[in-house]
Amino acid sequence: MAAIAPIIEIRNGTKMFGSFTALADINLSINQGEILTLLGPSGCGKTTLMRLIAGFENLTSGTIQIGGVDIANIPPERRPVNMVFQRYALFPHLDVFENVAFGLKVKGMPKEERTERVNRMLHIVQLESFANRYIDQLSGGQCQRVALARALVNGPKVLLLDEPLAALDLKIRQHMLAEMKRIHIETGATFVYVTHDQDEALILSDRVVLMEKGRVVQVDRPTEMYAKPKSLFAAKFLGETNIFETTITAVNGIGTTARTSSGIQFHSSETLTKKPSEKIAVSIRPESLTFQHKNPDAQSAECVVDDIVFMGSRSFYTVRLNDQSKVRVQVQRDGRLSVPSPGDKATIFWDASNVVMLPRD
Amino acid sequence: MLLRILVWAVLAFLISPLIVIVLFSFHSSPALSFPFAGFSLRWYAELFNNAQLGSAVMKSLTVAFLTSVVTLLIGTTASLAWLRLGKVGRGFIEAVSVTPIALPGLFVGVSLLVLFAQAGLQLSTLTIVISHVVIALPILIVAMKARLALFDPSLEEASRDLGASQFQTFRRVTLPLIAPTLISSAILAFAVSFDEFVVTSFVAGTETTLPMYIWSMMRRTVTPLINAISTLALLFSILILLGAWLISHVRRRSAVAARIES
Ligand SMILES: Nc1ncnc2c1ncn2[C@@H]1O[C@H](COP(=O)(O)OP(=O)(O)OP(=O)(O)O)[C@@H](O)[C@H]1O
Ligand SMILES: [Mg+2]
Repeated sequence: MAAIAPIIEIRNGTKMFGSFTALADINLSINQGEILTLLGPSGCGKTTLMRLIAGFENLTSGTIQIGGVDIANIPPERRPVNMVFQRYALFPHLDVFENVAFGLKVKGMPKEERTERVNRMLHIVQLESFANRYIDQLSGGQCQRVALARALVNGPKVLLLDEPLAALDLKIRQHMLAEMKRIHIETGATFVYVTHDQDEALILSDRVVLMEKGRVVQVDRPTEMYAKPKSLFAAKFLGETNIFETTITAVNGIGTTARTSSGIQFHSSETLTKKPSEKIAVSIRPESLTFQHKNPDAQSAECVVDDIVFMGSRSFYTVRLNDQSKVRVQVQRDGRLSVPSPGDKATIFWDASNVVMLPRD
Repeated sequence: MLLRILVWAVLAFLISPLIVIVLFSFHSSPALSFPFAGFSLRWYAELFNNAQLGSAVMKSLTVAFLTSVVTLLIGTTASLAWLRLGKVGRGFIEAVSVTPIALPGLFVGVSLLVLFAQAGLQLSTLTIVISHVVIALPILIVAMKARLALFDPSLEEASRDLGASQFQTFRRVTLPLIAPTLISSAILAFAVSFDEFVVTSFVAGTETTLPMYIWSMMRRTVTPLINAISTLALLFSILILLGAWLISHVRRRSAVAARIES
């Protein structure tokens, strides 16, 4: 995904609805050919950002460029982007073929070429045999593929997808995610994908844009964002994590040390710009905790096992520390290792590399 | 069980007058009461030989047709505005359009009469049509509103997004989708106009519509002709409704058939 110039460039984008700020000072570059997901809780402005790019809303201040051109005065029908709507917005008075052909028809493409392109697109989304069905005769997954085909057949530079899988059940969703990746490779278009499902974001994207209350909180590759969240919000929103309220006790060349009020000590190899006695939050993922003392440098805490949830290849333990706070531990199944049972006393261990120290909100 | 009997009783109450009228329109004697003496088409024959009645029917059809065309034009424009308005705008249209429905016909008739007099407008077919539009439009808007609420505005956005201009979007998306609503609304306007009596009697001048003709006929004697006229009117209404249903039904099928053939 080596990008030369960004296909979309948003600078200082602010959008107000009356006195309400839906988007505040957004700066974002979207690279040619990537899958970028906008991730964030409901109401954080994801749809609004899409609608700005598609041309259904105008920025209150700031600029949006597509392919180096400021699009402020270009109406939606002349922008090189196509959108897959949150509820599909398929035309109920047209059948599948006519829905997909709509864009080409209004642009005046000759009938022969149009029919060929539509049929090729229907083949890609595997809906050839449904060409003459009306929309109300389709399942949710089929509607979703029609919506995708209807947008992609126009060969957009950028495809905007607003929670395209939200209405589908888990099984079809996983199938459609794979489809989406395949279609992305096949068409080479840039995908901007909205979701508030973190799994979707992690599976699909080259980069994730995490949003909160109209602001961009962090833009990163999924693995980076998961391993190195830059805020407490990011740590909590993406994946599951344990948060400890601590006070810094030492900052020096070998890292930072912090301690909870009950005396549990955390050491991170990162040297923060904070000073001792400042408050800081520590985040450790459940899968970074273990009951095995494998690493001589490991840090540890005493605990009592409360509850175990078995989930096939892994189990989730809820343990209680001395200060009664609850911590989740994920254990990968391994017949050779002995694991504690509910009520047992145990010790949890973790490595310095898995300690993430974050400013408190 | 009791509920079921009640339902049938209500239905019988609603339908029995219709059955009696249809039955007696074929009665071979002028008597309007049982026992039934036998079937004949004499009242229908008499109807078709009555020139005055014929011209009243033509007048009513003309007025109803003009009313539904004008109402439809205004109604379409209003419904397009409605789709684009916010809560406040919709509330305003609703308030303005519902009020006239609640006004007594007597009051509307007198007001219109005064208005036409002040405007120096001769009472004629034109004034009847204007009055009928005034009466039908609010009913039409109320009827349309419920169905337009189901219109999904994101369909228009999808159309623009796919490259259609504002006009293309209207022609290819908005209009086809609201057409059934418009057609059924036009039929409603036609029906309202066709049997309007109270207001018409104020603003008709020397013109005579069908309801006015029936009224004047009844004042002289109650003749079995009334039954025949009513039966024809009933048949006419059923045909219109059937037609409207067929139009919306057939369009879809023919669209598919046309493409499969080509
Ligand atoms: N036309 C509008 N007028 C006023 N406020 C609006 C309008 N559109 C959106 N908003 C507000 O802007 C905020 C962001 O809305 P947006 O639809 O972008 O959220 P979202 O991130 O897509 O949420 P979701 O995940 O629920 O779809 C919300 O608080 C919403 O109420
Ligand atoms: Mg949304």
